[in-house]
Amino acid sequence: MKKLWVILLLVAGAIGTFSWDEAGGHPHKTPHFHPTPLKLTIPRGWPQPPTNIFAHNPLTEEGFQLGRKLFYDGRLSRDGNFPCASCHEQFAAFATYDHDLSHGFNNQFTTRNAPPLFNLAWARSYNWDGGVNHLELQPLVPITAPNEMAETLDSVLARLRKDPVYPRMFKAAFGTPIINSQRMLKALAQFVGSLVSYNSKYDKVMRGEATFNSAEARGYALYKARCSTCHPEPLFTDYSYRNDGLSLNPYLKDVGRMRITGDPADSLKFKVPSLRNLSVTFPYTHDGRLYSLYNVIDHYSKGIHVGPTLDSSLRKAVPFTEQEKDDIVYFLHALNDTTFEKDKRYAQP
Amino acid sequence: MMKPKVFNRGKAFLLAAVVFTGLSFKEARTKTTQDPATLRIVFSNKVGARDLVLRDSTYENPFGESYTVTRFRYYVTDIFLGTTGRQERIRHTYFLIDQGIPASWVAEVKIPAGSYHSLGFLLGVDSLLNVSGAQTGVLDPMRDMFWTWNSGYVMAKMEGNSPASTQVNQKFEYHIGGYSGPHKVLQTIRLPFDKVQEFHGGETCTIYVDADLNAWWKSVHEFRISEHPVITTPGLLAREMSENYAHMFHIDKIVPDSH
Repeated sequence: MKKLWVILLLVAGAIGTFSWDEAGGHPHKTPHFHPTPLKLTIPRGWPQPPTNIFAHNPLTEEGFQLGRKLFYDGRLSRDGNFPCASCHEQFAAFATYDHDLSHGFNNQFTTRNAPPLFNLAWARSYNWDGGVNHLELQPLVPITAPNEMAETLDSVLARLRKDPVYPRMFKAAFGTPIINSQRMLKALAQFVGSLVSYNSKYDKVMRGEATFNSAEARGYALYKARCSTCHPEPLFTDYSYRNDGLSLNPYLKDVGRMRITGDPADSLKFKVPSLRNLSVTFPYTHDGRLYSLYNVIDHYSKGIHVGPTLDSSLRKAVPFTEQEKDDIVYFLHALNDTTFEKDKRYAQP
Repeated sequence: MMKPKVFNRGKAFLLAAVVFTGLSFKEARTKTTQDPATLRIVFSNKVGARDLVLRDSTYENPFGESYTVTRFRYYVTDIFLGTTGRQERIRHTYFLIDQGIPASWVAEVKIPAGSYHSLGFLLGVDSLLNVSGAQTGVLDPMRDMFWTWNSGYVMAKMEGNSPASTQVNQKFEYHIGGYSGPHKVLQTIRLPFDKVQEFHGGETCTIYVDADLNAWWKSVHEFRISEHPVITTPGLLAREMSENYAHMFHIDKIVPDSH
């Protein structure tokens, strides 16, 4: 019987080793498991992403499809009404269309404007304050926030395990039907991280497939002169945190980046948003206080709130003539990617 | 010699025999060098000489403030042993010591046999794992030791109640985390042995480590519950408290060749 005991220990040890492999991000060691590999789209002329967000989460068709199903599944929220997609609508480039703040569980507002979701593989951090350091960890915020999806991971996973379809999809994506938080988060990261928007008119012009009209061309020149420091091509953001001259919202009292760093020098700094797909992501800024593109331009001309952490590039107002306003808006509309907003691969499965 | 004997036990042992054969080969191969030893660390959380009992027992901190404890957890990772001129690092060792889960009080790892003069570990989860996405096992965010809004692990957590607290329900809560820059609360713990300790291959050596909660309030810094009932964000207070609790451990005894 002593030998049997040794054997049992050995088997337990082997299982332990296997679990470690999984934790170490090598799910593909499972025998007879051959998912279809996918490659992240890196458009021609774009920089490589700063880090490979899929380094420990090999991108596969099965993982992408599982993440897509999860993204659109209300069962990730407490009352079933708030899938990720409730605040991140594809036709709005995965922002909330025409809402300053979004809606969450039990008739509550969110505290920030839902950012659009695209080109996230190039970001170094997530959320307006950059508090989330890895795409896989981002869904933890809305899932558990009491004013968003208001749910616990325990409850979500219990629901997924009872579902007739999910165990099969987890097996297809990860080799075994085990459903845990790590796998759910990795699958979501595969879907969301694959959302690449690169087919605006601007992109076509850069590829030589289209030409700007004269207003767009004038707007592009204005953009290069006045906006490109913080919003450089081709991603149209430098992913830095800056005080954009927006005063403290007296209700939300949101100090932005300072909430993460605790450094008063970061007070009222928020992540620079991309200018892509602005046509469908209004209202703008972290609390959605600027409704239209013209409101945004007027903010830079005459709305800057001067405070100690104001970005140095905004210490002098940026004036725009009426003609220039129209031109820059024409150009910004040329950054709208309707192909992305209608791509069936990203739609509700 | 053993193989035929095992086979004779019949059908039920067939699978077992195959596995056991593997073990025999492995033993034959490694016996020439050294079998690993087993290091078992048993953590006993205490207040002074009293064992910690969650909820029911009342304790007193160095400032005479009485308190009860409802949650007490900390990460012990990257275990290492000091030997002459170097450290033997035991890779991939992650333990979450949770007062509410007695099975978690024991950390067991395989180590190379040899003589060692100290035990060490990281109190917390190393920086890299704080920025590497979703983890599992004791590092699963479901273990309630992870911040969602400001990614990173809570390295150590103490919660309870005290009449000295000004907070709702006289609560106090310390969630100590922060993995980078001036906010880093990772503490390397080194516990020297009284004498050089021999760890024999194939045998288990148990080190009993006591952790005194009162070090959280007073060792290199002073924290009164009345002044600081809540520390739940990375920053100076969290770092100072981590510098305090780094002193909570000491070795009670070492029992070699225990089973």
